[in-house]
Amino acid sequence: MKKENIIEVRGIHKTYKSGFFGKRKTYALRGIDLDIQKGEIFGVLGPNGAGKTTFLNILIGQLETDEGSVKVMGHDVTRNFSNNIKTRMNMCSGNPNFPWSLNVEEALRFYGMLYGYSGKDLKYRIEHNIELFDLDKNRKVLYDELSTGNKQKLAMAKAMLNDPEILLLDEPTTGLDPDIAQKTRKLIKKIHGKSDITTILTTHIMPEAEELCERIAFIRNGQILAMGTKKELKKMTKTKDLEGMFIALANQ
Amino acid sequence: MRSRINKILAFTYRSYIFSKRNFYAFVEILFWPAIGVISIGMMGNFLSLSANMRAFLLTGAIVSGALQVTQVDVAYGLLFDVWSKSLKQTFVTPISHYDYIIGSWLFGLIRGIIVYVALGGFSMWAFHFYLPSAQIVVLSIIGIFLSALIIGMSVIFIILFFGQRIVEIVWMITTIIMLICGIYYPVNMLPKAVQYISAIIPITYFLEYFRTGYGFKPVFSHPLAIGFTITAVYIIILFLLLNIAHKRARQNGMIIKLSE
Repeated sequence: MKKENIIEVRGIHKTYKSGFFGKRKTYALRGIDLDIQKGEIFGVLGPNGAGKTTFLNILIGQLETDEGSVKVMGHDVTRNFSNNIKTRMNMCSGNPNFPWSLNVEEALRFYGMLYGYSGKDLKYRIEHNIELFDLDKNRKVLYDELSTGNKQKLAMAKAMLNDPEILLLDEPTTGLDPDIAQKTRKLIKKIHGKSDITTILTTHIMPEAEELCERIAFIRNGQILAMGTKKELKKMTKTKDLEGMFIALANQ
Repeated sequence: MRSRINKILAFTYRSYIFSKRNFYAFVEILFWPAIGVISIGMMGNFLSLSANMRAFLLTGAIVSGALQVTQVDVAYGLLFDVWSKSLKQTFVTPISHYDYIIGSWLFGLIRGIIVYVALGGFSMWAFHFYLPSAQIVVLSIIGIFLSALIIGMSVIFIILFFGQRIVEIVWMITTIIMLICGIYYPVNMLPKAVQYISAIIPITYFLEYFRTGYGFKPVFSHPLAIGFTITAVYIIILFLLLNIAHKRARQNGMIIKLSE
């Protein structure tokens, strides 16, 4: 049975203008169409500069499209990204940045308050995520003094503060040691297994996509070159694994 | 309602933590304003100024100290995120401009009041400064802190619209405003053309109203009514402009640029 679409994207284009009078143009997205189903882990793959992060920034409301439409949870968010939708989503990026003068606990308190939580509810959410992401030993450590792995854990903990229905993960294991990357992937699976959370993941680490994603869209030069389940994509490109698929599509 | 208050207080909380961890912030709160007050007070003694003339000058130094601390705190509402490159993290949460501006302003109010009380108290002790009636003091100070809100909001608007590279110019403009609003002199001392600019700056009116308490006749009539009216108009316009700047930042990727 086909699941309900939680995100519907139709013909989106995004161009960055720079230089004098915006004459220099970089075409980041050129006509993206896709549907993401409720509860799935959807992978967005592609080489550097393909438009993956631009796409995610549009989905989370930090960028506006030039053309096309975006519907999230049934609401058209193309021009107006309401706070009601933001309350139900969250994002975690690789190499995250947080206010440098806050320690782990304070950062979680600050972001929790931004979602409107206070009192016991806020305290529970902070403690729950500190425990879930194994941050207890570092709760009083300033963000600036955290290791890369712990910064990533904090980013994940922050992204789970509001129990999002949609979680966007932008290269969440970039720059991490293999063991920490593996732990992060386990955490993503654990979170996904516990709830009906829809996860959209961008990565160019193929074993990660192989391990986590149910369906995948491959983007290059701002366009979707292929989309489907891992099996379908491998069949389409006549390759044995996603690594082979990536190379085949990237060089197409 | 409770949720809105929590969002506002989140920024007050963050400003408090930053302030607590940043030694310079403690120095900044009193050091430069105190230097200003001591300089003006000593100059007043040297020139053997009358009590009301000395109060005129010290009012400028005290108000300017409190105003600068508060306006900077409002701007920090956005600048902390720009400096930490965490603007995107903040803007993906369900907040509005109102939340981070008012939250930061509340912290600025606390610091501004501390500066005002400390400098006023010191001036009374060291330079025989005196305050006019409670009504004049309270109404003028409310106006001054609202003016700080306007300056801080203008800084935020300019950063969101033009990006971080323009920050230094913005701080220069805020200093020039102090010259134009008649911080140490009546505005009719300024060239006629500059007086037209003074007339559109709310602080001008609140300073004038404050000084009526020392027997000085205001250059502009009804300073309090005009001051509060244009303050309200500016605040409404600035919130509208911030929405436009944010919309534009979503279109041209400024939020992302400020987060990288």
